[in-house]
Formats: sequence, structure tokens, C-alpha cells
Amino acid sequence: MSSSFEAELILSRPYLTRKQISRAQKNTISDLRTYSQKKLLIIKYLSDMCVQLKLPRKTLETAIYYYERYHLFNAFETELIHLLATSCLVLSCKQTETLKKINEICQVSYKVRKISKVNQDMMETFKKRICQTELRILESCSFDYRVNNFLHIDEYIIKIGKSLQLESKVCHLAWLIAYDVLKSDVLLIIPQHSIAIAILKISVELFNLKNDNNGNEENSSKWSNVDYSYFETNENSVNEAYFEISNFYINTFDICDLQGNIPHDYPHIGIESFIELKQTAGSQTGLDELPNDDIDRDPFLCNSRNSSVRERRHVLSSRLVIEEYNSINNIQHK
Amino acid sequence: MSESNYTKEKKVGEGTYAVVYLGKQLSSGDSIAVKEIKTSEFKDGLDMSAIREVKYLQELNHPNVINLIDIFMAYDNLNLVLEFLPTDLEVVIKDKNILFTPADIKSWMLMTLRGVYHVHRNFILHRDLKPNNLLISPDGLIKVADFGLARAVPGPREMLTSNVVTRWYRAPELLFGAKHYTYAVDVWSIGVIFAELMLRIPYLPGQDDMNQMEVTFRALGTPTDKQWPEVSSFPGYNKLQIYPSPSRDELRKRFIAATESALTLMENMLMMNPQTRWNTIQCLESEYFKELPAPSDPADINIFSQKV
Repeated sequence: MSSSFEAELILSRPYLTRKQISRAQKNTISDLRTYSQKKLLIIKYLSDMCVQLKLPRKTLETAIYYYERYHLFNAFETELIHLLATSCLVLSCKQTETLKKINEICQVSYKVRKISKVNQDMMETFKKRICQTELRILESCSFDYRVNNFLHIDEYIIKIGKSLQLESKVCHLAWLIAYDVLKSDVLLIIPQHSIAIAILKISVELFNLKNDNNGNEENSSKWSNVDYSYFETNENSVNEAYFEISNFYINTFDICDLQGNIPHDYPHIGIESFIELKQTAGSQTGLDELPNDDIDRDPFLCNSRNSSVRERRHVLSSRLVIEEYNSINNIQHK
Repeated sequence: MSESNYTKEKKVGEGTYAVVYLGKQLSSGDSIAVKEIKTSEFKDGLDMSAIREVKYLQELNHPNVINLIDIFMAYDNLNLVLEFLPTDLEVVIKDKNILFTPADIKSWMLMTLRGVYHVHRNFILHRDLKPNNLLISPDGLIKVADFGLARAVPGPREMLTSNVVTRWYRAPELLFGAKHYTYAVDVWSIGVIFAELMLRIPYLPGQDDMNQMEVTFRALGTPTDKQWPEVSSFPGYNKLQIYPSPSRDELRKRFIAATESALTLMENMLMMNPQTRWNTIQCLESEYFKELPAPSDPADINIFSQKV
């Protein structure tokens, strides 16, 4: 017993399907409604923080990914959400190289939450707990820094929009939509560049709707020629994001920020526009889901994380897992 | 569930944010190094260097870049498992018992440039190249290590800190405090390392930041607007003493054993203007690597003291 102890080998899976997410959340979230309500509150809180701290969209986006990801493997506790969200932002600042002192972040956090009587002790405790949470957040991402590293939705809207030679109005609308998209779970499902393409597609189509399909023919014909593989993605991923986003607007249009932010000279966009998009798009397609039985057998999603396991290894490549499996088997055979 | 895979046998070093142990990977029997990240009692939580190290090493996989084998959590501490590398170029340069030849230097330069080319190809700036961070594997391969200061190439409007790279290896644009700079800062560092390999003493050893400018420009000439447009608009430029650039003859005297193409490579890596400084591809394609002597086979280079 002395020199050997239990170890766990976990393969990083930075993106999950909708069903897989639901399965993981079963263990951690008892009341999804409350979770969703609080998430909106937290996104507002994080957005306010980012505005105050002059942080770019990518820092906000990464913080939200961390917040959502944390709740796949750690229990959702209402009273801790602000602490957790602040910790996510601290970490996200480091990840996206938009560094801020933890002190400054804490001060702004109190300011944004309108907590005025803050003494030194409160501040120190807050800071300490933020630091304690950091590693747990990273562990829920399997320390997989490949995510949220080079790819961010807003940056790719600009880059891909430019390379497709879309009008700046279309890209601006896409950029507005991209903010609302952060409120959905799509960050957990699809990599950001595919999300950016789906948003641009939606934006192009929204403009076309209002032009009775002839004013913006240039844009729509451009879209039919888009080669997704050129952007390192594929039709299924883009469609998955496309339907996630249109469904998100159809279900929650009233809580979205799009309506209040569309410039005056843009066509009117309402919930009916998204319903129309969906009708035109035909039957919903996207990524393949596994059968429920398989999902229920997946220990990655079903077992709650055991922090008492002394050595919890996180690896990025399945090759490593296979090699290790083979080497253990070989040893046993011998 | 399986048995623990890593042992920590001997503590070999301690830095500001990590303790390094030597150990074994039990599944393979290989020697490895474990970097245990200190996570408690930090002012700003998890150290930025630790984050950068993991972030960039996960992206990179190349024979001349240190390999991050694994990451694990144990006793609530984060541990990075890295390949075991017994020595580094600084140790080798300083050890007067080790003799090395121009072909050995060529081999090290080639491996360093290949590693850094790979780093740059992945849109990453290393920002701390120095002999101490060029580790050497048991079979003689150079491995670019320590990504604690690395960062992704910034977007056009992002500001960078010029307070990077160990002083002696700092490019002139950094000495001037530039907020925007490129891969060229890494090439400069390799150029200084190249000179140090030939001289076996540090080439531009400034005592402090001001003195570093003095030392650099005295050795290589103060840049002018003609060589480097608008260099004079950097704050502090006017206070500089103007030195002439060294002539080829002067360089030949400084580096007696160097061939003409070795000097050409070095001159172009130590170009004042970062825009005209060679990039890693130009360096790798230079005449120096094509002419004789051919670079030594890494496995044949003596990297440990040969006590006679």
C-alpha cells in the first residue's frame, strides 16, 4: 500500500453533445430552471465587470465557458455563483493574456454588486477563495488549454467575414448576435470558429429575409459557395451551431440583447424572423448523438468527480490512453 | 483505476512558482522530471508562468521542443510531467573541461533554430531564449524549454510588455521599450547565443538595463534612421552615444574561428532593425548550414565533462 495508490486517467473532452451535457448536469444541478435564471444573472454580472475593467469580448467568452464547464462536474450552489464567476474571470484574464490584478477585479466585483461596506478581511477572504477555486475550474476543463487559446467568436466573425467579403453591416449584426450566443450552451458543444460561421450565416440570412430574397443576392450566393473545410470545420458542426442559435432565439427572444441594440437603419428583426429562418432551413441537422444507453454508461459523464483519488491524470490524446492500457495489459500478461 | 504512474525521487530545483523533481514513469521505466506547481498562498492565484507553460507546450510537439508528457493533480497540487533532460547549453558553455568543435556549434544552432521555427510556426513567441533554457537530452538533442514567458502572437492593437527576455539576450527594440514586437526578438536571442558559443563567454553582458544598451550598441553600432526608419523616435534615443557598426574585419578579429558564412548568419540575426533581421527560415536556409563542416551528429557530441 505504501508506494502505490489509486490513480485516475482522464482523457480531455472539451466539447460534448447536448445530451451528454444534460447527463452530466443531472449529477450537479438539481433545479435546471434556477441554474438557467442564475446563469443570466451571472452573464450580466460578468459583462458589467468586463465593461468596468475594459476587457475584450474574448475574456468574457472564456469566463463564461469556464463557468458552464465547472457546473458539468461540480455541484451548482446558488450562494457561491458570484465567487465562482469572479474566479472564472480571474482565470480567463490569464488565459487570454488580458492581465488584471486580482485586487482590482475584487474591488470592481464589489462595486458592480453594489456592496459598499468592504473591509480588508472580507477582501482577503474573497481573494483567497478565488484562488482556491481556480484549480477546480481548470480541472473541470482537464487542463486543456487548447480551448479558448487562439479561437474566439468575435475575432473569427471579423476574420471569416472579411475573407468571405461580407458587408460590414452583416458582420456587425453577427457581432451583436454573438453576444447573445454566449447565454446559450453552445460554447460547450462547438468550437468557436464553427460558431462564428454559423452566426455569420444567420446574419446573412436575416438580411436576405428583409430584402425579399433579391436585395442581397450577392451575399446569399456567396454563402452557397462557402467551403467549410477551408475554415477547418464541416457542415454538421456549423448546422449544429446554426440550429442551437436559432432555437435559442425562438425560445428566449425576450431576454436577448439583440432587439435593443440593432441600429436604426437595419431591417427589423423579431422572433418571427428566426422562425422563418428555421422553416426555410428545413429539417434540423447537426452532430450525431449517441444512444441514451451509451451516454448512461459513460463514466466521464455519470461518475461524480472523486477528489480523493490521489493522482488524477489529465491527458489530451487518446493515443496515450491506449498506449497505457496496452502497457498495463502487457505487464499483467507477463 | 490504476496504480500511480509517476514517482518523485529527488528534488533537483526550486523556482518561484514550482519545485522540480526527478522521477520515473512506472509504465515505461523512463526517467522524467516532475514540476510541482506551488498553488497555495499566491498573491494573484495560479501563477501566469505555470499557465503559459502548459498552454503552449500542449500545442507543441517537436523533437527540439521539450515534451510535456502529462499533467496530473495530486494532493490538490498541479504537477507537470516533462521529459528528463540532464543538462543545458549554459552548463556546457561554462564547463571548461568540455571541448567542442565548430561542427558541434553548427549542430546546436541547427537544432535550436528548428525548435524555434516550430514555435514560431505555431504563432508563439518564446521571449526568453538563453543558453540556460536550451536543454540537452541524453542523446544530445537540444530542446527549447521554459515557456513561462511565452505568448501567442498578439492581434494588431494588443500592447505587449517590453520587459521580457533575460537582459543579455534582449533585442534592441525591447531595450527601447517597444510595445509591439515580433518573432524577431527570439532570433536576436539566438544570434547572441551563437556568438556566445563561439566565444565561450557572454557576448553582450550588460550590468543593468541602461548599461545593456551601451554594451549592445558599442559592440554592434548604434542604429540610425537610415538602417531602421524612425528608430530615433523611441524615447531615450537622443541620450545615446552614437557608435559605428563594426566592420567585417572587426568581426573577423572578434570571432577568429568563424567562417564568412557563419559571420553572415550572425550579422543577419543581430540586425538592429527587426524588420530586416532574418527570420528562422532565412537562418535555416543560410549558407552556413550548407558549407562544410557538416553539423555533428547530436549523439556524438560530448556534453559531459571528460576528466582526463
